[in-house]
Amino acid sequence: MYRYDEFDAAFVRERVDQFREQVGRRLDGSLTEEEFRPLRLMNGLYLQLHAYMLRVAIPYGTLSSRQMRQLAGIADDFDKGYGHFTTRQNIQFNWPKLVDVPAILDRLAEVEMHAIQTSGNCIRNVTADHWAGVAADEIEDPRPYAELLRQWSSLHPEFSFLPRKFKIAVTGAPKDRAAVAYHDIGLRIVRNEKGETGFEVLVGGGMGRTPMIAVTVRNWVTKADLLPYLDAIMRVYNLHGRRDNNYKARVKILVHELGAEEFRRQVDAEFAQIDRSEIGVPPAELERIATYFAPPSYENADASDLDYHRALKTDASFAAWAERSVAPHRVDGHAIVNISLKPVGGIPGDATSAQMRAVADIAERWSKDEIRVSHEQNLVLPQVRKRDLFAVWQALTSAGLATPNIGLVSDIISCPGLDYCSLATARSIPIAQKISNRLGDARRQKEIGDIKIKISGCINACGHHHAGHIGILGLEKRGEEYYQITLGGSGDEKASIGEIIGPGFSSETVTDAVETIVDTYIGLRKDGENFLDAYRRVGAAPFKEAVYAAH
Amino acid sequence: MTLARKATGPRLLTANRLDDGLVVFLAPDGQWHPDAARAAIARNDAQAAALEADGADAVRANLVVGPYLVEITEDDGSIVPVEHRERRRLAGPSVSTSASTAKALAA
Repeated sequence: MYRYDEFDAAFVRERVDQFREQVGRRLDGSLTEEEFRPLRLMNGLYLQLHAYMLRVAIPYGTLSSRQMRQLAGIADDFDKGYGHFTTRQNIQFNWPKLVDVPAILDRLAEVEMHAIQTSGNCIRNVTADHWAGVAADEIEDPRPYAELLRQWSSLHPEFSFLPRKFKIAVTGAPKDRAAVAYHDIGLRIVRNEKGETGFEVLVGGGMGRTPMIAVTVRNWVTKADLLPYLDAIMRVYNLHGRRDNNYKARVKILVHELGAEEFRRQVDAEFAQIDRSEIGVPPAELERIATYFAPPSYENADASDLDYHRALKTDASFAAWAERSVAPHRVDGHAIVNISLKPVGGIPGDATSAQMRAVADIAERWSKDEIRVSHEQNLVLPQVRKRDLFAVWQALTSAGLATPNIGLVSDIISCPGLDYCSLATARSIPIAQKISNRLGDARRQKEIGDIKIKISGCINACGHHHAGHIGILGLEKRGEEYYQITLGGSGDEKASIGEIIGPGFSSETVTDAVETIVDTYIGLRKDGENFLDAYRRVGAAPFKEAVYAAH
Repeated sequence: MTLARKATGPRLLTANRLDDGLVVFLAPDGQWHPDAARAAIARNDAQAAALEADGADAVRANLVVGPYLVEITEDDGSIVPVEHRERRRLAGPSVSTSASTAKALAA
């Protein structure tokens, strides 16, 4: 993991001290709310529907056990004993008191964490593939570059007041688990004919009221040119982004309005002017960063996973969990363990402090102290020996964290919605819970197979509904919540935007509609065809027919 | 906070408390309470304006943030906001993490 240097640590401490003084001045009235609001937002503190909310950055979703324990302590001492992992690999605390926030930030600083740039029109927390560094299909670990981008974008004076917020995601694998095409900038590590690795750069993706898939502006950018090239993109955006209209201020609108060709031309013109030696990072510095992400020492695999295979045969519950939760690791004898934060009928992404501590203990003992947060609101233990999988499963089971539903119908992404969020138009968590309860029976889930349901409680789409195989958008009409359904969205390497199937559904009927869609799929699928493939083959018509005939 | 149309019915004044952010309502005694049942209810525009003036004072006194009027109906003595969002805000989250976790542990 990356460790702060003295400069980082001193800076974060200074920032906490500044914020402590700002809170003091707010409480004694020296600062009005109007004056204080931008200051608190720069430190991740929102005022939500029922209370303040603190959004803590988890750079590229990577946590140590010590950090996870600190989050648990904050949940216990300053909140209601739980936290909410978000679709941006962050964690949110829903009930902090303003007066306590400086103390919370102190605790975060103790473990090299903060809440800077988790709000505002700046470059937000850089996200990455949650299997980075261990995925079997990976070309190269994206985390050193994500860290480089974090350092470059933190308090960058030129990019601190952009037209609108800006999100960057990085993947080092051809299988896109980071939804890079739905980001303002998406980076894919690719290999050229000479066997060198560099970046494919995508720009202009996004969710919200105007969903767009990013376009590739460059097939190949060298590592040395990564920062200068991104600088050029940011400069074009900063200059031409629509500051006059909040709804048109994201870079996706600029790319769309200029057209990809013209946008590329302007970026290239800017890039040609940039002093690359000044902005680019020397190879030695990149190597220094990369050493923090060097693989741990792995034991020889030999025959040590015999116990694992024996347990798979003898324990059906373990086998069912392993089938969904365990993914291939790049090193023999090891596995990636995905921890579901989606108990059937539960709140997607929530974890109690006890669960956070359990994960910290398990990671320390069996995953080389590494934890990841996925944008699908689950956790990952990236470094588990196969021979330890059974013990890990037992420990997760004791903590209520062994729901065997990763990638299944109850593994639903949901934003906080109108249960917490002041921007929401409808509740989303209760809809996730109803669908999960309705379809969450183990045999039923297995029958349905791989499917992604994603729910947002407003058009801002924090619940990624545009990228859901089944997307649900909560709206309000004449005082009642209603839900629009989209089909065929995807956030992977073949990204697509879901299409609205027709009139919306009430909170009472939306679960029926989802079940009808699922049953229609089961009725028409070919052998081994998952929901998305079936939808892409047959289109929306059979689903519309089934849903609107039945309602 | 603006309502889509001008409120004409009974209204109460709500805000978030500055120090802890919790939802509060202005009571007839000038105190801010988390319980809407204790809220002062304005039954005409003049009373509503008086509540708003008290709210502005409370902002200046660093007690609350962002006070605004909420139109309500009174159903058998219980207070029901007209706007959906305000009904949800008054009721608090409709989901409970501890409950879902307990259920998961029991499963």
